[in-house]
Formats: sequence, structure tokens, C-alpha cells
Amino acid sequence: MTQTPAKFVRETVADVGLVARGWRWGVGRRALVPRSAEAFVPARSTRVFPTRWARTPLAQAVREVLLGVGMHWLLRSQVSVRAHGLDVLRRISGPVIFVSNHASHVDTPMILTTLPPAWRRRTAMAAAADYFFDTWWRAAGSALLFNTFPIERRGGSMSNTPGALLDDGWSIAWFPEGTRTSDGWTAQFKLGAAFVALGAQVPVVPVAIRGAFNAMPREQGWPSKGRPRVTVRYGDPVIATEGEGPRDFGRRIEQAVAALLDEDGTDWFSARQRAIAGATPPSSGPQVARWRRVWEASQPPADAPKHRIWT
Amino acid sequence: MTRPGFVLDVDDRTPPLVVHEGEGFRLERFPRGTRVVYPPESLPAVRDIDAEIANALHHPIDCEPLPALLRAGMKLTIAFDDISIPLPPMGAPDIRQRIIEAVLTLAAHAGVDDVELVSANALHRRLTEAELRHIVGERVFRSFFPQGALYNFDAEDRANIAHLGKTAHDEDVDIHLRSAESDLLVYVNVNQVSMSGGHKSVAVGLAPYSSLRHHHNSSTMVASRSFMDHTKSELHSSAWRMGRVVAEHVKVFQIETTFNNDIFPDAFSYFQKREWEWSIADQAKMLAARRGLAIAPKRMRHRIFHDVRSVYGLTGITAGAVEPVHDITIERIHRQQLVEVQGQSDVAIMGVPFIGPYNVDSIMNPVLAACMGLGYYFNSYRGAPIVRSGGAVILYHPVEWEFNQLHHPSYVDFFEEVLSTSVEPSVIEKQFEEQYATDPWYVHLYRTSHAYHGVHPFYMWYWIAHALDHLGNGAPGGGQNVVWVGGDRKACERMGMRAASTLADALEMVSGAVGRNPSITYLHNPPHLIADVT
Repeated sequence: MTQTPAKFVRETVADVGLVARGWRWGVGRRALVPRSAEAFVPARSTRVFPTRWARTPLAQAVREVLLGVGMHWLLRSQVSVRAHGLDVLRRISGPVIFVSNHASHVDTPMILTTLPPAWRRRTAMAAAADYFFDTWWRAAGSALLFNTFPIERRGGSMSNTPGALLDDGWSIAWFPEGTRTSDGWTAQFKLGAAFVALGAQVPVVPVAIRGAFNAMPREQGWPSKGRPRVTVRYGDPVIATEGEGPRDFGRRIEQAVAALLDEDGTDWFSARQRAIAGATPPSSGPQVARWRRVWEASQPPADAPKHRIWT
Repeated sequence: MTRPGFVLDVDDRTPPLVVHEGEGFRLERFPRGTRVVYPPESLPAVRDIDAEIANALHHPIDCEPLPALLRAGMKLTIAFDDISIPLPPMGAPDIRQRIIEAVLTLAAHAGVDDVELVSANALHRRLTEAELRHIVGERVFRSFFPQGALYNFDAEDRANIAHLGKTAHDEDVDIHLRSAESDLLVYVNVNQVSMSGGHKSVAVGLAPYSSLRHHHNSSTMVASRSFMDHTKSELHSSAWRMGRVVAEHVKVFQIETTFNNDIFPDAFSYFQKREWEWSIADQAKMLAARRGLAIAPKRMRHRIFHDVRSVYGLTGITAGAVEPVHDITIERIHRQQLVEVQGQSDVAIMGVPFIGPYNVDSIMNPVLAACMGLGYYFNSYRGAPIVRSGGAVILYHPVEWEFNQLHHPSYVDFFEEVLSTSVEPSVIEKQFEEQYATDPWYVHLYRTSHAYHGVHPFYMWYWIAHALDHLGNGAPGGGQNVVWVGGDRKACERMGMRAASTLADALEMVSGAVGRNPSITYLHNPPHLIADVT
């Protein structure tokens, strides 16, 4: 036997490293399917992972500690969080659907830790069934920590869980793009959130998150160094008008998020003016080369211009 | 639902892939663009095996039902495939046991007294009592072995060989005397690969050297393209001619069985999965196995792998006349193993696992490793080889200069004496074959010990003749385009091949033949596959 203890340890470290890289170990990462094998991915189980237990008083208490203390502290130790517009939540009562753009895995804790505790305790997250509910331990972990419930993002029958939750007085946070952005700009919103809001007749609160793509883009399992800045801005609720269909309502929700993103980068009044004039910059970003889109989106959010009082 | 086999293009998302290498395996990162051929997933297994066996025996193809062929006073011989198949061996009860018990039950009802069972060894080693007992089961073993009615075929027992005549190609057809004289010969096949079965069962399995030499020779092997496609194999054509002569003298009731690809038991279940679908548990099990094997003593590693008993699921059993039965068998095997591959590549990569047909519970010596890689895996194609003519083959195996003296005594001399003279199959055939085939000491060991016949290593070398010819573009020296990753340099050199430490080194070494940017195809085997190259 030619193995020495040192060689064994060295090879073990190399093996573990190889597997960790090959199968993408890390928070929020998982093995990817090679492109040529995507056509052969087996159909996922149709069994719905039960999450009712995650909304029991005991689970809520555990989550409040994990989120309100642990995650709150951890997140702020890694990123500089600024939350704006929370006063809108004082003017309405739940349940509502929070609809946000989605750039990073920090978006979910960002929303949940910036919400006032009373709102946080009654908010569930819609999460992709094929991503967060593909293994029991991932499903159980995300349900306990973030109060997630599974939704099918690749078509199929509409889950009745969101409607039931809203009927029970729970608010829902929803990323209607269906996945995280690959270049920092928003993709077209799917209509699921609009459908559910219309069905349950609840308002939609737009949420704009800026800087998350810079802080922790896809492929990254942990926020970048230097406590990058991330802003979360809550907007005025969007309420469906009489006879409005999901397509029109969905478009208004998307415009509300775009206007909020514009507002976060400039100021409220000028953003309002552009919104009224229909001149809000599209949240899908400029139609230029991909690298330029990524370049621009990865700029940390700058502060809105300030007037100097003392000159 | 069973997913079909497919060809993966390695990209930036592809994790390291498993490559078997003897009594171990490694994770290899292949260059982007490498094609990886994956076999289809396991087909669903037959649920009621006994009912399926009964149905096959009572409703054979182009033949009377077995009960109608059995009568009191007749002479019945049951031959069965030896331990060289399936690989790894099947967990108890072996399918041969279940079939033989069903046949014997019918024979007992019909009042047949004169029954003998023979393991169709040809020139393979004799099976031990334990191996025979594992194949036929305890009841059959206890009923026949003590009386000498369950035995290994002895190809050197001249008194018990019958000459049935010659084929139109002047090939001698000699087979086991008892089988030739029987009123009915029932042959029980395990058809794990498409090479097995058909007329090859009797005409090869129960034949001596005088018959085998007509098709187990370098010129026939070079012209067999491939062994897995009996319609294009000279070896099989010869066996088919002989089989038809046999059929003129003996009533053969052929039973053929096919299996799914459930090769690895639970402990190695990750070998059955596509790597990117490994769960955390699979990754942990694989890591534990790799690190465990790294520190396990050699003997323990050997035991770990050779104690593997597979959990194959039966996908079908057919009985009746040889040729129509075999056609159905081939169709079933293709459904389980065939994968369509577009075009050949410059380089083929294959991992040679711990076991081949001739090292069950034994050592895979360099000749057997070459036979496994360049004989069996290289020939696992239909249409055209996976690698182009003049291309290169990269194999993974330690190729240790190590032999089992009990099982492979003639291999030692073959490696030392014959291959040091020449590695060209046709040259060594002329110069050495007859000497080894008739050597009294090797004959003695074959008959009384558990040694493969003296000529057996030559046959293994002929198995690779087609690969060498193809890689050498029809000229001698094709072995220079064969590189063994992790192989023993001296042993590889003795075989006219080369050894490399890493895949990158191997690709560098073959760049003279295939250039610096070759197309590469890796056959992800086992589980078994046949590349249908179009």
C-alpha cells in the first residue's frame, strides 16, 4: 500500500474539492444539468410537499427567531440594507401580494427582514417547486426559514395554495419573473400574481430591489465582500379596477415596479412625472450588448442626489 | 418510464464523470465538446418470473412445447452457460437455476430418467463445486452432482467428443458426445450481450479446440464487425454454419433470457445514475467509496468488487428453435442497450472495469484487460466502430503485471514468451498457437485443475485483432494508438501499447495520429451499451 496519511489527506481534500466544484456545493447552488441532457430530465414528481406545518404557531415562533434575529443580523453584516416606502404598509391592512423584481437569493431575506414584524409574521413566500422543493431537506428548510410554499413555474395547473393562504389572511411575496435575472435587468413578468390577486381581490404592493445583482448575482453563493449596498423600496398598492383582466393588471403591476426602480435611482417626483407621461425607463434595461447590460446593472446603487444645505 | 440512451456533449455545466478502472474508479473532467454515450435506463423487469418461464416452455417458437418433447426412456441433456456470464454474477437464485428446475420438473412428470447437466465451458476453466451450486441451485446440485450427472464440459476428453461432420466451408463440427447423442438437448442461455446465444451456444460452448480453431483465429476476428452484430460477424457466421450441422443431428431446445441494466447493487447505485442527477447521498456514498478504496488493502478491494452480486431484472425469456428465438433476444437486447451515435470520432475513451468474462473471482491480467477494452468494449458497436480508422483509443486500467497462476497459467508464458516476440495476432498465431494448444502440461491443468486452456490467451489476443487492425489503418502497429491511463508502463509496452498518467498526457501522446484538437467519444460503460454508429 503506497498510501501515507499525508497523501491520503491530500487526496481526500482534492476529491472533496472536485465534487464540491463539480456538483456546485454551496448555499443556494446546485448541480446543473448539462445543456445536451436537458431534454432527458425526468418529469418531476407531482406530489405536493406539505407546508401547512410551517405556518403553525410553533414554526412561526422558530422562524421569528431565525429571521428576525439570526438572518437580520447576518444579512446586515454582509450587505448594507436600506429600506424605503414602508409607510405604505401603515395605510393598508393585509392580506396583500408583494410583487418584486428578482435578481438574487438575497431578495427573499431582504423583503422578509425589512418588513415590519407584524407583516413578516403573516407573509408567506411563493417558491419554485422544481427548485426549492426538489428534495425533502431543501423543502423543509426553506419552508421553515422563509415560510415558502411551492408554485409550479413551468406551466401546469395553477396551485390553489396561494388563494387559500390569502383567504386565511396571509400575505404573499411573489417574484413574477419566475427566476433570478441573468443580466441584472428584469424579465417579463408572468401573470400568476395578477391572476391570484384578481381571484382573491387583494391589492398588490410593488417592491423594487436595487443592488442585489451587484451584491450576489447568480452563480454566487455568498454576498460579495465590502458590504455592497442594496435598497428595497415599497410602493403604493396597485388595485385592480372593475372588469380589469389579468393581462392588463399584470402589465400595471410590472409598470409599478419599473416606476419604483426609477424612483429609487432618481427621486419620487421626477419618477412620478415620467410615469404619468408614460416615459418610465423600461426595467428590462437598454437593448444593447449583453456585457453592457451586465456592466450597467452591476453598478452599486448610488444615493439619490442631495441638496447641500451648508455650502 | 425508462429513459432512452443518449449522447451528452460535455459543457461547462457537466460535473466530473465516473470512469471505471479495474478495482476502482475515478472522476474525470473531460474536455468540453467530448461526446459521452450513456446507455438507456433499465427496462422494467418481468414480475412473475416463474410464470414467464412456464409460458416460454409451453409456448415455444417454431417448436413443439417442451412437455411434448419429453418421454420416458429418452436421453435428455441440459447444457447451460458457464460462469463467464452474466457479469457481475447474478445474486441467488440464478435464472439458470429457475429454468433448469422448471425443465426438470417437466422431465420428472414425463418419467425421464436419463438426465445429465453440463456446463458449456468450451476452453474456459472448470467451475468449482460452489460455482456450479450457485448456478443450478442446491436442489439440482444435490440431485445430480454426486452421481456425476452434473459436470463441466471437458474439451480435451477425446473419448467424449463426437464429430458431426463438416460445414460447406470445410469446418469440423465437433461437440460434446453426450449432447450429440441425446434425444433432446436443452440449452439454457444468459444473454447479457448480443454476442451470446444463437448457434454460438452449442457450436462454441460445447466444442473442443478442433472446432473452435475455425472461427477463433486472427483472420476471422478481424473480419467480425462486430461481435455484437451477428449478421456482420465472421465468427458468428462460422458458428451459424456449424450450428446448422448440429441441428441436423441433435434436437436443440434453445432457451434464451435477457436482462435489464440493473448491474450495480445498492452500495454502488450511483454508478447506475447520470452524474448530474446524483443526490447529496449519492455524492457522499461515492466519496466514501473512493476514499475507502484508497486505503483498503488490495485483497480487500478485490473482495469488495468480486463479491458484488447483481440484481438484474429479467426482461424476457424465449424458447424454441435456435434462430427465431435468437432474433427475439437480439431485439430485446437492442431495446436495452442500443444508443444512436452520429458519426465516428478521432479518439474513443473507455474505462475497463474490474471484471470480464474470464476473471470471475480472479485477476484481470494485462491480456484480459486488453481483451475487455479493445475486444469487448471496442466491439460494442453496430454499423461502424465509434473511432475512425487510424484513430486512437484511450483506456483506463492499472494493467498490473500480475497473473492468477491457478486460472491463467498459460497467460504467464504467453505474456513473457509470445508477446515479447510479436504482438501481431496473425504472426503469433502461425508461430505459437498450436504449441500452446497441445502442450500436455496446459492440457493437464485444464482438465484437472481450474486453468483456462493453453490456447485461451491467444483467443483473447485475437479478440483485439479487429481493433488493432482498425487503429493501425490495416497496417501493423495499431497498438501504438492505444494509451492506458494509469497503466503499468512495462506491461503496456509488452503489449505494444503505451501508458499515460493522465488524460491530458494520453491526448498529447496520441496527437501525432489525431491532431491536437481531436473529436472525442467516451463510452460510459458499464452499464452495457451498444453504440449504433450511423
